[in-house]
Amino acid sequence: MSTVSVVVPLFNEAPNVPPLIDAVRSALPGIDWELLLVDDGSRDGTAELADEYASSDERVQVLHLARNFGQTAAMKAGFDHARGDIVVSMDGDLQNDPADIPRLIEELRRGYDLVTGYRENRQDKVLTRLIPSWIANRLIRRITGVQIRDTGCSLRAYRLQVLRSMVLYSDMHRFIPAIAVATSGARISEIPVRHHPRRHGSSKYGLSRTWRVLLDLLTIAMIRSFRDRPLRMFGLASIMIGECGLLFVIAASLAGSTMPASDNPVVFTSTAVVLFGLATYLFMLGLVGEVLVRQYWRPREADLHLPMARERSW
Amino acid sequence: MKLERTETFGPALRAEPEFREPSPEELDVTVVVLLETGRLDAQAICREYEPPLRKLGLTYEFLFVNGSGEAGLGEAMRESIHERGSVRLLEAGQAVGESTVLRLSVEHSRGRIILTLPPTLRVAPEALPEMIRRIEEGSDVAVARRWPRRGSWVNRVQAEVATWLLNLLTGSRFHDMTCRVSAIRRSVLAEIPLYGSHFRFLPVIAQREGFRVIEVPVEPHPEGGHTRVYRPGVYLGWVIDILGIFFLLRFTYRPLRFFGSLGALFGLMGGGILVVLVIQRFFGGQDLADRPMLLLGVLLVTLGIQAVALGLIGEIVVHFQASRGSTYRLHRSR
Repeated sequence: MSTVSVVVPLFNEAPNVPPLIDAVRSALPGIDWELLLVDDGSRDGTAELADEYASSDERVQVLHLARNFGQTAAMKAGFDHARGDIVVSMDGDLQNDPADIPRLIEELRRGYDLVTGYRENRQDKVLTRLIPSWIANRLIRRITGVQIRDTGCSLRAYRLQVLRSMVLYSDMHRFIPAIAVATSGARISEIPVRHHPRRHGSSKYGLSRTWRVLLDLLTIAMIRSFRDRPLRMFGLASIMIGECGLLFVIAASLAGSTMPASDNPVVFTSTAVVLFGLATYLFMLGLVGEVLVRQYWRPREADLHLPMARERSW
Repeated sequence: MKLERTETFGPALRAEPEFREPSPEELDVTVVVLLETGRLDAQAICREYEPPLRKLGLTYEFLFVNGSGEAGLGEAMRESIHERGSVRLLEAGQAVGESTVLRLSVEHSRGRIILTLPPTLRVAPEALPEMIRRIEEGSDVAVARRWPRRGSWVNRVQAEVATWLLNLLTGSRFHDMTCRVSAIRRSVLAEIPLYGSHFRFLPVIAQREGFRVIEVPVEPHPEGGHTRVYRPGVYLGWVIDILGIFFLLRFTYRPLRFFGSLGALFGLMGGGILVVLVIQRFFGGQDLADRPMLLLGVLLVTLGIQAVALGLIGEIVVHFQASRGSTYRLHRSR
């Protein structure tokens, strides 16, 4: 029988800790499990409360981050310390229901590497949560190319090998399925899970993150398409901008022939020069990128196990 | 971070009296002092700061580091050093910065607590026991804050401004960043990667790494506080260092957040100008060819694109590097 590690990052979730632990306990009968609570530098006594529970149940473990490192780092810490060959992640706010975990595991055993839940009947505010989330999901699907309905649901089950080869940093926890596909070649499935309204504590999310998420998406898009050939990206941009410069050269010569000689079209000419400069700069930056990739490049898990991946995707 | 001694210093590294590989945690406290030309010599510092340490009943040593690369600085005090058993001199074969000295001191000191002192009289001798006590109580780093401040108002103003700027940009809440008298657990110092001018920001970096940093108000030294005015370049250097640490602390793992935002700002300004110009060209009948505004708009857009491109290059580096090393730190004591 395999072990299941449940990883829960906690940031100021003290009131939710006791019901969370109880829920996990009762959700996994007949399964060998461990619960990894990762305290992300909470200031409301979450850590102490979790420690108290952990001391009475050896299946519950608490990891203490030295300060608030953010959700991605907290999840990474949990993943790094997980011992089970199946790992489940979920939020600590009890909006996910641990009772769904057995179904996730069942789905994982059907031959997937990552099973993510999608929330049916989401219990959140429409204007500030549901609508932005709808737009974000569409955008993320489009940019990452990974077709899942609900990227914001953190109730997921993973095979440990997938986590070990996954590159997780910054605030990339939002895009775990996409990263799992991109860096580990994971096979993904999606099943509906329950979603409860928040009972205790307050949400740590807001609309302010929109801009940051957009920039992160740009990163993901770039990594996905150009991680091993940056000159393609910079070269294309360079050529496009060079063409704009050419347009201004043409405009300058046209203006030069129609205008009186006293009105030299110096503005068009200078604009063209600026654009050619930019084109050159971008091309050179692309070359620097190539040098970097040559220094750093290593094969991904997905590259290494191509035959396996092909075999699985019947 | 283990420093390759041969690489940095070559065979010119000498420690006096006869250097032996110090076994770690042998003593309680090592006082590390970087000697500078024209500042106090080792004897004066020992005379001033040794009595309170002796009274404390802990074992201690003084480790003076001649990081100037001038042999004379060390020669001059060799005699005074031989008089005392608890004093050692470390000579670097070339000029090294204070960050390097701090990292060296991890390797060469025997105390489990490292106390850093500048070669000037900044804090009263009684401050040292107090700072050591704070470390014994469980803090990882204790930094001195001279309070109440005395002496020259010129010193005070420049210190205040530097500290204010640092706090503003890094979100830290320290009060005296120019004092640089601090007590650090040796094991903690070993884990903080210090280089370049980062020694100035040791408490900020330590805090960001997740260590417990505490500020200790201490008496300033009664004889210290002479007005110090530096060349303008020095102040400029401070500002640049602070900007650098601000960027590194916030954006090391997410360069595109910085360069992308900057690029978007420039791009929007330039784009706005271009849109206005195009509207005026086609609906206002104004010629485009004789308008220098066009150049400004294109330049701003160019700058924006350059910023974003740099950010993307940064993200490539981060992506490849992120899988090595971890991005979090667990609490030491639990």
